[in-house]
Amino acid sequence: MIDKNVSLWRDRGILPLVQVLPLLAILMTGVAMPTSNAIAASPNWSPKISERLIKLPSVHLKRAIDSDFKDSTLANAIGDTADEVSAKTKTVSELKEAMERAEGSLATELRHQALVEKQNLIKLMGTRQDLKKKHLKTKVRLYKRLLRKANNKTGVQNASSAELKENQAKARNRFKRTLTDVDMKLFRSSTTTESKYSKDYIKNSSAIDRLASAINSHPMNSLPEIDGRVVGKADFLRQLVAGAESELAILNQEESILGYMAKLVALDAMALSEGLDAENFNEEIEGDESRPGASDKIDLFVS
Amino acid sequence: MLHKIIKTTALSGALLFSISIAQAGSLENLERERAIAIETMLSPSLKAEERLDRAMISKRRLVDLERMVIRDKKLAQNNTPIVRTAFENYNLTFLVHASTEANKTLLDHWLEEIGVSTHSLGTARIGRR
Repeated sequence: MIDKNVSLWRDRGILPLVQVLPLLAILMTGVAMPTSNAIAASPNWSPKISERLIKLPSVHLKRAIDSDFKDSTLANAIGDTADEVSAKTKTVSELKEAMERAEGSLATELRHQALVEKQNLIKLMGTRQDLKKKHLKTKVRLYKRLLRKANNKTGVQNASSAELKENQAKARNRFKRTLTDVDMKLFRSSTTTESKYSKDYIKNSSAIDRLASAINSHPMNSLPEIDGRVVGKADFLRQLVAGAESELAILNQEESILGYMAKLVALDAMALSEGLDAENFNEEIEGDESRPGASDKIDLFVS
Repeated sequence: MLHKIIKTTALSGALLFSISIAQAGSLENLERERAIAIETMLSPSLKAEERLDRAMISKRRLVDLERMVIRDKKLAQNNTPIVRTAFENYNLTFLVHASTEANKTLLDHWLEEIGVSTHSLGTARIGRR
């Protein structure tokens, strides 16, 4: 009997309407659905801040963090969702093309399928956004903590430390200025000769200079740049925080785009259901005379 | 990858740390040698020739020690009263270099720096405190 009714609904075009109604209900509940789904799956990335990570040069620091993220379950989940989204996008566009060519009940069926697929696509996009947001929020938190630590390293210099550094710099400058003069006076006399320390120091210092210049020109030791300007670690970290936060802002904007898309799908679903309603109403008026009366259904109750 | 980087950094950090350990105490060595040099120069028990020989040996040692201290970059991170005082008084800390710069003998330079001059000694009066 149920099968008979289902086939009757399909013949009269009510079946898509029956299928559309739950879809409508889901869409009306909003786009919040993907969020709870994403949280339930909970792919994660929890980077650890160690003293060694803080000591890494800025360029390597970013690479290390990115590489750590790539190995996380969150990165895998984002990649998987992106694949699913592209597959679903392809399905929806194929359905759209087929819909343009189809007519009658097949067109209605395809419209319904397209709506269902669109709804799934929105869900997937929502999930991907939630995952991306999770990644960006973690990244911002991590960069901020690194920035705090970097500032602590350089910023806690109190007045006496600053004074000491200044005095040391002054002493070194005075020393450099007078070194040759002192050497001339001390070691050119017959009684005093240059010590082993002095000789070895000069020898080592030329080796150190060569090594230092090799280190400075090494490509892996390049300092980070912003707009072609070499910047310090704190500035570089601040730039990373700003970058991640701007990505978050864009994601929030995309969320409203998803909301609009969901609303459009809901309106399409309403249009489809309204169209089917009108169609069925006309059919009912036209076939009212041939409609079986209550007495015809007595067989359902009397055995 | 992250672990590899961290390991490499740890290794380099350990190397740097070992270097800083090797340089620790340069200022203390200088202070000790300078004290010995001044004691030698002021010692009444030494003959003039002996004093001169000892002072020369101390001076040579002091030259190296003073250079070690001035080149010790880790000292600025060690913000202790000894280090602060040492860099506040260049003329007393780097005694040999400062005296040579001023064209004075070590003892003359030191006495002048602590406020004892021929004039002040000449005008001094013996009295009871």
